[in-house]
Amino acid sequence: MAEKIWQKRQEKKWLRLLRSGDHEAFGEFIDKYKETVFLCSRRLGLSADEAEDVASETFMAAFKAIGQYSGRSELSTWLWSIAYRQGINYLRKNRKEWQLEAEPGEEVGDGKEQGPAEAVESRETEQIVWEAVERLPRLWAMAVILHYREEKSIVDIAKIMQIKENTVKTYLFRGRDKLRQLLATAFE
Amino acid sequence: MTGKLSEDKFDEMLGQSLRRHSEPVPADFTERMLKQIEEVEQRRILGRVVLQERLSLAGCIVFGVLAAVGILVFPGRISGILRGIWAGFAERGGALVDGISESISIEAIRSEWQLYIILALVLGLAFVCVLDMLVGDKLRTA
Repeated sequence: MAEKIWQKRQEKKWLRLLRSGDHEAFGEFIDKYKETVFLCSRRLGLSADEAEDVASETFMAAFKAIGQYSGRSELSTWLWSIAYRQGINYLRKNRKEWQLEAEPGEEVGDGKEQGPAEAVESRETEQIVWEAVERLPRLWAMAVILHYREEKSIVDIAKIMQIKENTVKTYLFRGRDKLRQLLATAFE
Repeated sequence: MTGKLSEDKFDEMLGQSLRRHSEPVPADFTERMLKQIEEVEQRRILGRVVLQERLSLAGCIVFGVLAAVGILVFPGRISGILRGIWAGFAERGGALVDGISESISIEAIRSEWQLYIILALVLGLAFVCVLDMLVGDKLRTA
């Protein structure tokens, strides 16, 4: 109990420093969330170099806006929103074929061509699951990652992806369903 | 395997597997990012200093122009005010405040209120500039 209170106090102190523009605190913030930001960019289909550019823009935008962070949503949710918006803006500017809806053309196959099934013997479960997620349409994958990896609520995912809660539910339902199919084939 | 898994078990397996995944990040990303932020900050500070300098310069020009206009439009009053202030300095020494209050009578303020409004605005601007220069940063970061 006492440890929890101490932790909360430390976090509040850290947040205060972060809001005041303290560079050391912001360095810790980058260290804590850089993987998340790269993950977001990569799942939107960006290359490693593009993901680095978007991550830099995301942290720069976060640095400029951190003074206005109200604390109403979790810090990670707030950063996810920025990262997602930056990624989408990048795609809009640089990829003409990008569409905001989950594209039918992007949908995965049945997983038999070259998918996880072939490698099931030698790879770990998480690797197979991750590969299956990577084969989902971008927006389904994003919703699945936000829900199952980042443990975000439907409301938070809707805020991050700037879509309706029902659309999030649809993405999650379809994504999960497709994953079950893919993983069933992989683990057969 | 998934065929046999219950809904809850599948969700648990999915969550655990996804949480174990780590996304590769360039090793020196944080250092580079902090350096980039520092550069942007320095540019911002430099920009603010340049803006303050420009404001000061503009203030000096505006004040000079106003003084010139004032002398041209109200030569008698301006010289009266200046003479009064000078008399306060030269003759009455410690009674300077009295001298100023005598030279700037309520009647004079009533008849030339436009001039005093402009003077008050210029002095106000100068005060804000000085205040911003001295304690602006502390106020912004508080």
